[in-house]
Amino acid sequence: MKILIIEDEVELLHSVQEFLEQESYLIESATHYNAAVEKVLAYQYDCVLLDIMLPGGNGLDILRVLKKEKKDQPVLILSAKDSVEDKVLGLEIGADDYLAKPFHLSELLARIKSIIRRHMHHGDPIISYKDVKLNPDLRQVLVGDKEVTLNRKEYDILYYLILRPNKLMEKTTIAETVWGDNVDQADNLDFIYSQIKNLKRKLKEVNAQVDIQAVYGVGYKLI
Amino acid sequence: MNVSVKNYTNRYIIITILVIMAIWALLFYAVLMDEVYDNVDDGLKNQKIEIIREAYANLDILNNTREFGINQYRILPGDAADFTDRNRFTNELIYMPYDEEDEPYRVLRTGFYSKEGDPYLLEIRTSTVEEDDFLINLAISLTILYLVIVLSILVVNHLILTKAWRPFTRTLSNLSNYRFGDMSSFQPVETEIKEFNELNRQISLMIQRNESVFSEQKRFLENASHELQTPLAITINKLDLLLQDDELSEPQLVKIAEAKQSLHRMVSLNKSLLMLSRIDNHQYKEIEEVNFNELTKRLLQEVEDFVNFREIKFNLTEDAVFKTFCNPDLAAILISNLLRNAIKYNTNPGEIGIQVSSNTLEISNPSNSGALNPQYIFERFHKGYQDSQSNGLGLSIVKSIVETYSNLDIIYRFENNFHIFSLVRV
Repeated sequence: MKILIIEDEVELLHSVQEFLEQESYLIESATHYNAAVEKVLAYQYDCVLLDIMLPGGNGLDILRVLKKEKKDQPVLILSAKDSVEDKVLGLEIGADDYLAKPFHLSELLARIKSIIRRHMHHGDPIISYKDVKLNPDLRQVLVGDKEVTLNRKEYDILYYLILRPNKLMEKTTIAETVWGDNVDQADNLDFIYSQIKNLKRKLKEVNAQVDIQAVYGVGYKLI
Repeated sequence: MNVSVKNYTNRYIIITILVIMAIWALLFYAVLMDEVYDNVDDGLKNQKIEIIREAYANLDILNNTREFGINQYRILPGDAADFTDRNRFTNELIYMPYDEEDEPYRVLRTGFYSKEGDPYLLEIRTSTVEEDDFLINLAISLTILYLVIVLSILVVNHLILTKAWRPFTRTLSNLSNYRFGDMSSFQPVETEIKEFNELNRQISLMIQRNESVFSEQKRFLENASHELQTPLAITINKLDLLLQDDELSEPQLVKIAEAKQSLHRMVSLNKSLLMLSRIDNHQYKEIEEVNFNELTKRLLQEVEDFVNFREIKFNLTEDAVFKTFCNPDLAAILISNLLRNAIKYNTNPGEIGIQVSSNTLEISNPSNSGALNPQYIFERFHKGYQDSQSNGLGLSIVKSIVETYSNLDIIYRFENNFHIFSLVRV
């Protein structure tokens, strides 16, 4: 899987690159508008991470170029300008998704994976770990061959955990990705615990080989 | 005490004229009386010469005129010891049958020697001006003159000043129409009067300066928030990477996660500041009719999980539909900010009352903390409680949104240990 990161902030680029390489993606990068245009036109990527404010031009113009050249690249916009107009405009011109800076790296990964999955016209969309199989298209969870019925929140939590098994997912990240921006209404994140508890119980009922482990005060990981 | 410029000038004009006329009246009176006595005295002196001449020619009169007769003089035998031929004038009151009362007379007394060398005393008198009558007449006519002058000055002043100050009053009313942030809302007034032109010019300049400082400040806030996003993103992502390190111990992980949480508070503060400046810059332009009943129900659903966790109950009463034209995003931010406070500062277990009628939307929650000061709660960075989770901007955002729309207002009150925020359509 090949990902192009178009980003002029070198430190940010390095972090994202290091993280995605850990997830075994092949990374290329561009820090200027012209270099970016050259690369998106010359090569095919599984996902392009696009910063809007670039030296030498506007990231949205790269989308326009792609559209004009009728080149289909999955694009995820990363923008420091968290403005509704930019988001709407970006999605209109042809971006697949929009993520405002600053973001959690695990959320970035989830977005990238879902973009890649949507662009996969053939092949298996199923994500599996041990005996758990998760089908994002159907929002279906199978343990062995038994289906587990999960509510929306439980499914979302499992989805984020199974994307990166054995890796720590912070409570804040889970809360923000599953409950959205409204999570800042809550005065603490303990409410996540009751959802996790239910999820754990449902997995246990079907004797799944996976379990959710709490890292006290930080978050959870799927083992 | 405030007086209008008209009354202010009038007051001084009236006093000044009064003083001038009083001084003038005294001088006028003195000069006039001096002239009158001068004339009368001249007449008396002339008469004296004629009488003495006659006395030389006709010795009879020395003895025949012991009393004042029709000639209004008398000659008395003099005393050689205190003889003087100096003219002595006095004013005396003497009975006048015509008036049937005492009237002022001017009397000349002098001594002379007869042909034989005997000393005689001569008294000549003549009726003179009645000073008190004269004084009263003078006072009456001067008072009338004073009143006429003052009245005409007042009338002329009123007409002229009203006309002359008209550009000023227009400038004032234009100033009251001026809204901060909208330079075209102040219209300078065209006038021929130099001072008012200068005033208009200075006001326009002042507005320009203020506006540019204001927009500079807004831009500064916006730029600062933007510039903060990138370093925050970098720091957060570096910590993210660090959290992936399996060799870290749990206490280390906790510390990193806590650092990250603090950074997230900064991110949310940053977002709130950006949102405030966007609201103040009127960047949320799109307007549609928002159904606040639907909106509230949707937002309640979104916060359901953590509200249930806190054991807070919702009591939603819909008497009517609250609908108004505004930006749908801002409406959602408005209601969710109010809901957030109602959740955060609730009792545990607690409740949130939401009452919707056609013109008000009330969100209330019980509290143990007592009333908030309605004067400060909408101010930026005002915190009612020492609260690490709050950035002190939630209610300022609410206020900013409400102020964007002239048809909305937000009112706080505290009743029976309930905080109540009412969104009112006006």
